[in-house]
Amino acid sequence: MLGAGRALRETSTAERAAWLAEAAAELRRSARQAVQELSDATGLSVPMVDWAARTTLDTIDESGLLDLAARARPGSEHASAPISMLALVLAGNVFTASVRSVFVALLVGAPVLVKASSKELTFPAMTKDALRTVNPTLGAAMDTVTFRGGDVGCEAALVERAEAVSVYGSDETIAAMASRVGRDSLIAHGHGVSVAYCGAGALTDARRGETIARLSLDICAYDQRGCLSPQLVFVETSTKQPAEDFAVHLAEQGLAPMERTLPRGPLPASVGAEQAQWRGVAEVEGTLIRGRSYGIAVRSAESIRWSPGYRNVTVVPVRTIEEAFDAMIPMGASLKCVGADPASISDVRALLGENLTLNAHSCPIGSMQTPALDAPADGFPIWHGLLSP
Amino acid sequence: MSRRNELKSRIEAMIERFDQGEQVDPAHRDELIEDLATWQASGIPEYGRLQRDIDWPAALPTDVFRFRRIAAHPVEEDVRVFLSSGTTSSERSVHAYRDLRLYDLAARAAARRMLFPDVGEIRLVILAPHEDDAPESSLEYMLTRFAEWFGDECTWAWRHGQLDLDRLTDVLRRAESSGAPIALLGTSFAFVHAEDSLGPRRFELAPGSRVMQTGGYKGRSRAVDPEVLLEAIGDRYGIPAPFIINEFGATELSSQFYETTLREGVDGPPGPRRLWVPPWVRATPVDPDTLRPVAGDTVGILRIDDTANLDSVCCIQTADLAKRVEEGIVVLGRAQGATPRGCSLAADEAMGAG
Repeated sequence: MLGAGRALRETSTAERAAWLAEAAAELRRSARQAVQELSDATGLSVPMVDWAARTTLDTIDESGLLDLAARARPGSEHASAPISMLALVLAGNVFTASVRSVFVALLVGAPVLVKASSKELTFPAMTKDALRTVNPTLGAAMDTVTFRGGDVGCEAALVERAEAVSVYGSDETIAAMASRVGRDSLIAHGHGVSVAYCGAGALTDARRGETIARLSLDICAYDQRGCLSPQLVFVETSTKQPAEDFAVHLAEQGLAPMERTLPRGPLPASVGAEQAQWRGVAEVEGTLIRGRSYGIAVRSAESIRWSPGYRNVTVVPVRTIEEAFDAMIPMGASLKCVGADPASISDVRALLGENLTLNAHSCPIGSMQTPALDAPADGFPIWHGLLSP
Repeated sequence: MSRRNELKSRIEAMIERFDQGEQVDPAHRDELIEDLATWQASGIPEYGRLQRDIDWPAALPTDVFRFRRIAAHPVEEDVRVFLSSGTTSSERSVHAYRDLRLYDLAARAAARRMLFPDVGEIRLVILAPHEDDAPESSLEYMLTRFAEWFGDECTWAWRHGQLDLDRLTDVLRRAESSGAPIALLGTSFAFVHAEDSLGPRRFELAPGSRVMQTGGYKGRSRAVDPEVLLEAIGDRYGIPAPFIINEFGATELSSQFYETTLREGVDGPPGPRRLWVPPWVRATPVDPDTLRPVAGDTVGILRIDDTANLDSVCCIQTADLAKRVEEGIVVLGRAQGATPRGCSLAADEAMGAG
């Protein structure tokens, strides 16, 4: 891998951008052909796999890559050198999440060694094949490994030659990896949740349909398994009743139709056990709205209960946007993204800027699960840690 | 006679008939579950809000016991309140009892059938606190009753909130010398602590000695694979594997399940290790989405309809994964509490599961 990295660095940014754009298109073709295999590997439905591959890969183009590279290395390519190698421990819940990490590393000239789950090796392997098909130098700079978790020898080998290690994990996992590679070499992605905020204007008769369509996509994408999936939807209302009415509309006009257009994948038994508890409590409280593959609870901001995902979401009535932020602040660095209706997005951004404990990304609802290639991650630019000072 | 007392009489009669060696008709039990659930839904608003399935009563999720008082009687009529383990109130289930008659009947009948089928009384060694030191624990309540019902002598090898190793060693050495069988009863984490602390000390307990362990670890000791712990306990105390059994209970329930191997070791024929379900209880793995029974030995989440839960709710939806094995149940573990799931959690799974 280190040799492949040296060869990669001898290529130009323009060459790499062109190859990566071509590889994205190749990967899109492969994903389309292997959609059933990916569905089986990921537990997502076939339409969901197709949607995920499309929304992730169709947005990668040469000019966007060049623009990103220019911002990552302002001035000159020689102003900062790429790291010798990135080790990447992949998350398995959002199978396309590897694209941003792998493509951006390769774009700046850093080879990537990917640790994937043996259960979800399909897409990383397809990525590798796509890169190799497009260009052997590019393809040689990305490889995959899989091994049983807790294998100390394999984990040591994974990170041994890496100049940086990007890992998604709990505080314990990140601390364990930090003790192995040092904090400076770690690109840590801790526990993550996301929320949405809908101001009163987004709930009016004129706007409600659009709000629901956007929210439903954010909730259903990847079956709400990702850290960018909204778990809570704060709605601005002076009383609880409008929130309950909104939840009914969200169910009937948003989540129910999604059962046909982007159906949920099969529910794992362990998640189902949590779902039964989560929904049961909401039903006892008299606030559960349930469909074949979704559940909505209406709960106050003082008593948040996290759902197990899989399209189980809480609508939280708040009187003001500040009240919503009071509920977000305890989430701290775990809060990854705040989606907001278009009219509220500037207020959300302003309040995120004021609250130093939060480094969440903000975006309009409807795009929470489709971050741009250059969207920040955990408060840092996407190229954070990939360039030597 | 009030409806409550009429239902109570029917439940008592069913358990007592079983305890006297008679068969319990499942159809009779199911009818009782229906009647009980209907009465409970009318008196417990939280339960009444649950939507009934076509085929059977709704099941109340165990989590509700952590957030709401679930009882058909006012708080001033409580005679006992059991709490699950945990450090904060929101982690602790609360189960209030108006009387303990059915709990006692169920506990005694089940233990007599599965834990003490071959002995009327036996020397008990308990690796858990006495009821006086843990009045909120249903397990400690049950073990103290066992001491009264089945113990010809009883030693609590527990002092000041921890295992009393000197006392445990002493009583085990005396048991070795006497040649009389004993029953060691305690939590799984207490047995792990004993494993970690007893060092090279090993015991050769008399034939007929037995172990009942129960509960998970909940962070109180290192977690040990059940098979590994079973072997370690066997080696440590000189007890054959069939006489080391798990008890399955929960704060939200009034009845207990026991593994079958001891009973089958006494009565035969031997079968696979599984949990015996008392005939006054209906245990059903259900589909996580539909909450309807799964087919065959498919893994589902365990629903338990416990008729001994008279003054709370009979039909309980647990978070335990389980499957049917022959006429019994094997519990495969408990789903994690509802926690934020995100990229990081999935990566932990990737790192952990490979």
